[in-house]
Amino acid sequence: MQADRRRANAPAGGTAPPFFATIPRESLKRPTRTRKPDEHRKIFLRTGVVPSASGSAYYEVPPESDHTSDGLLIPSSSSLKITCTVHGPRPLPRNAQFSPNLLLTTNVKFAPFATRQRRGYVRDASERDLGVHLETALRGVVIADRWPKSACDVVITILEGEEDCFWGSAPQGSDASKGKAGGWGMMGVLAGCITVASAAIVDAGIDCVDLISGGVAAKTTSLGAATDGGALILLDPAPAEHDISAACVVGYLPSRDELTEIWMKGGVGGHSEALIDGAVRSATLASTVLAEAVKEAAQSRLGVSGGDDAANGALKGKDTAMTG
Amino acid sequence: MAPYANLPLSPAELSYLYSSLAQDPPIRPDGRSATQFRPLIAESNILPSANGSARICFIDGTEAVVGVKAEVEQTHENHLVAQNDTRDGERTGRPDPSSAGSWFEISIEIPGLRDDDALPVFLAAMLTEALLGDGELTLKLRINNRFHWRLYIDVLLLSQPLSYPLPLLSLTTHLSLLSTRLPALISEGDEDPLFSDDWEASTFLYTQPNSNAAGKLHQSKPPITLLVISAGENIIFDPSRDELAVAEAVVAISIRQNLLGHMEVVALRTIDAPSRLTASGVPRSLDATTGTNASVSNADAQALREEDEGQSVWRPPRGGINRAKLSQMMATATMENGIGQEVMGGLAGVQGS
Amino acid sequence: MASNQPISLPGQHLGTTETSNVGAGTHIQSGHIYSSLAGALTSSTATTKSGNGKKPTTKQRPSVSVTRPSGAQLLPEVGTVVVGRITRTGPRQANLSILALGGNGEHVISPAASSSGGDGGGFPAIIRQQDIRATEIDKVKVGESFRVGDVVRAVVISLGDEKAYYCSTARNELGVVLAVSEWGNQMFPASWREFVDPATGLGESRKVAKPA
Repeated sequence: MQADRRRANAPAGGTAPPFFATIPRESLKRPTRTRKPDEHRKIFLRTGVVPSASGSAYYEVPPESDHTSDGLLIPSSSSLKITCTVHGPRPLPRNAQFSPNLLLTTNVKFAPFATRQRRGYVRDASERDLGVHLETALRGVVIADRWPKSACDVVITILEGEEDCFWGSAPQGSDASKGKAGGWGMMGVLAGCITVASAAIVDAGIDCVDLISGGVAAKTTSLGAATDGGALILLDPAPAEHDISAACVVGYLPSRDELTEIWMKGGVGGHSEALIDGAVRSATLASTVLAEAVKEAAQSRLGVSGGDDAANGALKGKDTAMTG
Repeated sequence: MAPYANLPLSPAELSYLYSSLAQDPPIRPDGRSATQFRPLIAESNILPSANGSARICFIDGTEAVVGVKAEVEQTHENHLVAQNDTRDGERTGRPDPSSAGSWFEISIEIPGLRDDDALPVFLAAMLTEALLGDGELTLKLRINNRFHWRLYIDVLLLSQPLSYPLPLLSLTTHLSLLSTRLPALISEGDEDPLFSDDWEASTFLYTQPNSNAAGKLHQSKPPITLLVISAGENIIFDPSRDELAVAEAVVAISIRQNLLGHMEVVALRTIDAPSRLTASGVPRSLDATTGTNASVSNADAQALREEDEGQSVWRPPRGGINRAKLSQMMATATMENGIGQEVMGGLAGVQGS
Repeated sequence: MASNQPISLPGQHLGTTETSNVGAGTHIQSGHIYSSLAGALTSSTATTKSGNGKKPTTKQRPSVSVTRPSGAQLLPEVGTVVVGRITRTGPRQANLSILALGGNGEHVISPAASSSGGDGGGFPAIIRQQDIRATEIDKVKVGESFRVGDVVRAVVISLGDEKAYYCSTARNELGVVLAVSEWGNQMFPASWREFVDPATGLGESRKVAKPA
């Protein structure tokens, strides 16, 4: 990683940060999952949040419960906040070759304050990796041959990223304890990115074959209730709440029953089918919110007064609780 | 854009390729069967200064060299203690697989691409994920509670990436890890590690077939990553560049042999199909030069293109991969005596020579 | 939900190819028509367009189409009337940057957010010397038709090469609509080939668009 030369960086030899003594481990209570294994957290999704962009959307998954009562500085569970802007279709960049199709580029960036350890302004390897995943997911959905000679940029900023594990039980000094996402949290982030990018692309009026939504499922061994040979498949896992051993993200097209993106890793151990099924179920849940949000946006832009509920919904956005 | 995606194929050639691949059984340009690998030249232990190394050359001229180097590194304090606390000693001393990702480092160098390009980053992430699997390699790297080996796996693609380089890099990495040897440990317990300087006494990172012949358990092997495409109803393994250009979906499946000798999937990723960047053909009804339909409005032209649906002329595929087909891909890759075992067996033969 | 216009979402099933024709904003997947946009769903029995075409079979079925809420198209196509600003003139051609689509600039192209767009984000286009006006095309001079900075209404005649669209002003209603004189004053059209500066009274030659 080269140094960021475009900005005035802090001096190399700064002061040492204050060091807080470790709290006794007994007082740290790990957050527990209160929703059912096949239940998704609430999703807030709203399109058209950035007026200057052709299309935009905002996605938020709040933490299930407030753990502020612990009296700790650091919240024990994290939430997910993502914004997405779509610029285009617009002219191809000057140096690009002629392209008969829409040239889709994705740019995923964590805000410097998105995780507990500060992120730099230059995109690192994990962010590039997320960008490639997102591009794969979106390329199959956009009908690119209707947009000759044009480009489209999908820019995603992650305002708050999900943690990789519970920081309290993570070893001191390891990557995980510094809150540097890169493992399981990334999978949840990708699922959110797919859903929010889908909403923003539809908002921009670019032809899509379907409303793609992202979903994530994880295999865990932590909960006692064994359903599947000791392993439990959980939808929408919050990494702080579980000991995840494998996870899978999909980009799912509900009406075609197809996947444009699959990302599975970890000790799957023969549960790959169950994991993919779980991720698809999770994506289906997210797609109900997505469809509602997109529909409301379209209605309000058409000036259709769809009764009181639609008017309220347009003001407050979507806040839907879902069960499997 | 990735260099392998620049295809000098016309819509007519793409259409021809696709329809021959979509036949039952598929007709591949080089006459292979759907699950047949391209022939390759492989050798291992080629670099004397590395702990393990390998070179593989595919028949299309792409060639990769992998060198594995190991260093001793101090394991961070508390790392394992914390694990003991939370797991009730059930998995005593077992390193946490998620944080042990930093115990080995894969760097990939592809000529013509910058280090921070998306392709090498993506390939490195894919290979890392497959190796991490269920944390078995991490267990092998542990020396004692205070020290571990740190592996540097440096992958060098010698030629231009003519086709998607992932299978080549994965097979070469597999072969080099199979040949990787670590010096024998003399010290005991948690004291500072001391190693034998006799290279003959060194141990293989992955156990060799002869060394535990008595054991009922199969030897563990590093994972390999296979590239699979779908065309029509067919599933085709190890696609060449031309075949990739018409694929509807490209999936990279990482498989490994578990201790019972069965193949299992350890990681899965879809890869952006280069076919989505290809130009579509012009249906005959729209062709202005034949004079039948010289001037149609844009809306009508689009409707005609839609109604053709890629039947008479090439059209870039839309959508993703069917779930049933994905399951079929995984099943074929992990099948008993299937392509996965065949490839691994072939590479194990290289090791013996 | 009480709405007078049904909304369709991408991927929504709209019928089969046997029952209806595919229109704008829709696509076909194995014999079935699906929506590809989020917008108002319209079904029209428009038979005039394709009625004189080669295929008589497309006549009687209604054609389903989905229009995006913003209404306008997003990209210039052949036949689109656009509004652009001249960026450069040469002996053979004038370069312009398309800023809006539609004769009155109904759909403004969003300025490029990132670094890639050079000329303030518009689509680059060219008006060749022979496309400036319909008559006496060999006598037309580019410098007497356009000046840098003029706002021009033109029609797209070709998607062009990798760099530029090809436009034409060879119609009465096409040409310069806004021009500024050498003295910096806003001018008004005086004839089909002249703009006049109201402050100085001097005329400047242009290919003038017929005022609406």
